Amino acid sequence: MLKSYMILSILLFSIGVVGLISRRNIIVIYMSIELLLNAVNLSLIAISADLADSSAQVISLVIIAIAASEAALFMSLFVVLFRNRASLDANLFDMLGNKNER
Amino acid sequence: MRSLALQNEILFAILALVAIVSSIVMISAHRPIDSALSFIVTLISVAALFALVNATFLFVVQIIIYAGAILSLILFIIMFLNIKDENLPDEKHKNRWLFAISIIIAPFSAILIDLIMRSDIAVHGVVREGFGTIKDVGLTLFSKWVLPFELVSILLLVALVGAVTLSKRSE
Repeated sequence: MLKSYMILSILLFSIGVVGLISRRNIIVIYMSIELLLNAVNLSLIAISADLADSSAQVISLVIIAIAASEAALFMSLFVVLFRNRASLDANLFDMLGNKNER
Repeated sequence: MRSLALQNEILFAILALVAIVSSIVMISAHRPIDSALSFIVTLISVAALFALVNATFLFVVQIIIYAGAILSLILFIIMFLNIKDENLPDEKHKNRWLFAISIIIAPFSAILIDLIMRSDIAVHGVVREGFGTIKDVGLTLFSKWVLPFELVSILLLVALVGAVTLSKRSE
């Protein structure tokens, strides 16, 4: 059972990485990051059930709290970016990486 | 006892299939509302997988915080921004990109899966009575993990202040 949980967690993590790299919509990028955190949580829960130790459940509780605070920050970022550019395209938000100012 | 294990494996297979299919729909949908709705399905099936290994408290937390709070926040923001089709990025080669990145990522996950299949990680510890309940998790949280708990509370405060500061209109 632990091995199948770990394999499912690896698959979900890979799907999340694919979505994170290949999409340009910032909301989908955010949800891919959440999927990565969820895959890690799944493997931690499986390990905790297999070891019969609840420390890993506490770690995944902390990860869920971190994801919640990340959600608050991302939502305010979405609002600010959409107000300034009226778009959800991640390629437009390149002020930190673009040398020639537009 | 044997039929219970078989039943668990069938349940696991169904839930894993639902999670994988809905997460693929999530990363490949064009409109963000579609991907948010299918991401809810992923989160609920992951929560059911938590319940399958007796992590009842994390099951409840996953449903309340992830599928309840965070995803309704995303849906609220999507509707609040009033996104039209011309606001979305025109990803003409989206399917090509997804396919290419999947080919790049596939060997890494194949290596990891092969590593998991070869290794002997299953310990099968004896699950005691009351494992994964709120009492058990809470006792562990407040005895062994007090410092991370306090740090997370500081992090939540910082994120709250940061969200308010970011979304304030600058003069």
